[in-house]
Amino acid sequence: MAEPKVVGFVCDWAVATEGLTDGDGRLSAHPSVRIVRVPCSGFMRPDWLEETLRAGADGAFVTGCPYGDCLNREGNYLMRDRVEQLARRLSRRRVEAGRLAMLAHGLHDRPAFLEDVATFLQRLAALPPAAPSRPARPAAPAGGPAPAASTRPAAPTGSVTPSEESP
Amino acid sequence: MYRRALSWLLRQTLKLDVTINRVYPTDWNPLYYTGGLTNFFLLVLVVSGILLFFYYVASLDGAYASVAYLTDAVPYGGLLRGIHRYAADAFIIAALLHLFRNWFTDRYLFSRDGPWISGMFLLILGGFIGVNGYQLVWDTRAQAITQIFVQMLRAIPLAGPPLAHLFLGGPGISDALLPRILFLHIGTASFLYLLLWWHYVRLRHPKIWPPATWVLTTLGLITLLAALPGTAPVAGVPAQPGVGVTSYPLDVFFLLPFWLTNWLPAGVVMGGLILLFLAGYVIPYLDRETEPAMGVRHAGVAQVIDGNCTGCELCYYDCPYDAIVMVPSPHPGVTKAAANRKLLAVVMDSRCVECGICVGACPFEALELPKFLEADLTRRIAQAVAAPASQTVTA
Repeated sequence: MAEPKVVGFVCDWAVATEGLTDGDGRLSAHPSVRIVRVPCSGFMRPDWLEETLRAGADGAFVTGCPYGDCLNREGNYLMRDRVEQLARRLSRRRVEAGRLAMLAHGLHDRPAFLEDVATFLQRLAALPPAAPSRPARPAAPAGGPAPAASTRPAAPTGSVTPSEESP
Repeated sequence: MYRRALSWLLRQTLKLDVTINRVYPTDWNPLYYTGGLTNFFLLVLVVSGILLFFYYVASLDGAYASVAYLTDAVPYGGLLRGIHRYAADAFIIAALLHLFRNWFTDRYLFSRDGPWISGMFLLILGGFIGVNGYQLVWDTRAQAITQIFVQMLRAIPLAGPPLAHLFLGGPGISDALLPRILFLHIGTASFLYLLLWWHYVRLRHPKIWPPATWVLTTLGLITLLAALPGTAPVAGVPAQPGVGVTSYPLDVFFLLPFWLTNWLPAGVVMGGLILLFLAGYVIPYLDRETEPAMGVRHAGVAQVIDGNCTGCELCYYDCPYDAIVMVPSPHPGVTKAAANRKLLAVVMDSRCVECGICVGACPFEALELPKFLEADLTRRIAQAVAAPASQTVTA
């Protein structure tokens, strides 16, 4: 099975991805992962993550600096909360909370970053495939395939730190 | 050259963090709390200093005797003195770590120069207070550093001699000296808190207190150093007016400039110090990186889109630098959600650090970074999602 399509939003002060990506921002180790650099992890609006999933990505993650070391002081803490809230909101709409992740890695933490991305991809691969392009309103019942119901309670709380539940 | 050196130092600093973070949970990394630790040591200094003050006699004849009495006759007096001394060393170490860490990790960029400038004042005054503390004991070391310090002052052109006269309270060392030094020691220390207000004023939740583990560990370490026979402060030789001092125990954290006068004239040392501190004030205004190289990290001061702002205050609560103020709305917004607003968010340019946290906080699309718009990001998302994943290996 092809690797799940993932968009990763990486704070430009956090983990350095030069050398890990090609010109278009694909991770060489996982070509299905695209990296988008943002000014700070706290710059990410939860709407945009939702939009990413709706547009057809299987998962999205945000990477900030290690907790306590955000260059802008609080961006990564704020983003961790926002990702958590968005995951809860999405799981009410039958979108698996495990499709979102918040990672925190410093400029030189590349091995750990790649490891976390790999864990995240494995977790996504275990989820049922996402509907290709969901409608904007969750009301349409066509979006949620029936088998999803059995797997939904799998990762409600551990969604923020994929490393905790590595298989 | 400067840029290259700084990026090398940045890399080394963050590599050190990676190593430390393997040992501690990241929010416990002591290097994330250098500021809080400095503040904690200052509190230890104030509390122990107030206790020391009760015993101190500020006169040439009484000063040494009062310190000796405190050390030998008062229960735990020597321990108290030791705590005051080692907390001062810890204060300078933590302050210097704080300075270098924030310098190497670019935490002075954009409008963060206020904390940097106030921090330089704090460092210089902190060092000055430390030197004063060594003078207060009035042993031979105090005598020697007073003489060297007066030489340094006199070496300053024009302002020097009057300053030395003011400092001594007369043409030479007299009974006017120690009350002045006591005031400089305590008065300047109180002034540090005014500077700290400036240091913190634009930070939304300043980390002024380290985790309990580090408070207790450092306090224990200071107490241990103050109590152990090898490191506890010992009584020096009482000062004798008119007798030259040839050697004295050195505290490298405060008295290094005085040590340098062994080889250099006092005027050169003073000039070097002044140049060093002036260079410190210039640091935030030097170019760290070229603008294109900074890319999304230099995305411009956040802009409020008037018509969309609903006055909900979410950005105001999330901004880590208090750069957003809510003002009474001068006119209703354009969108339905903004039509009945009472408040309008305004970004203060002089405080914004271009991080975009307010953009992420705003659910009404009322904030944008001028050089990295929402449209730019959504285009990149669309590209990323639309691109086929499989053929990328050859690309």
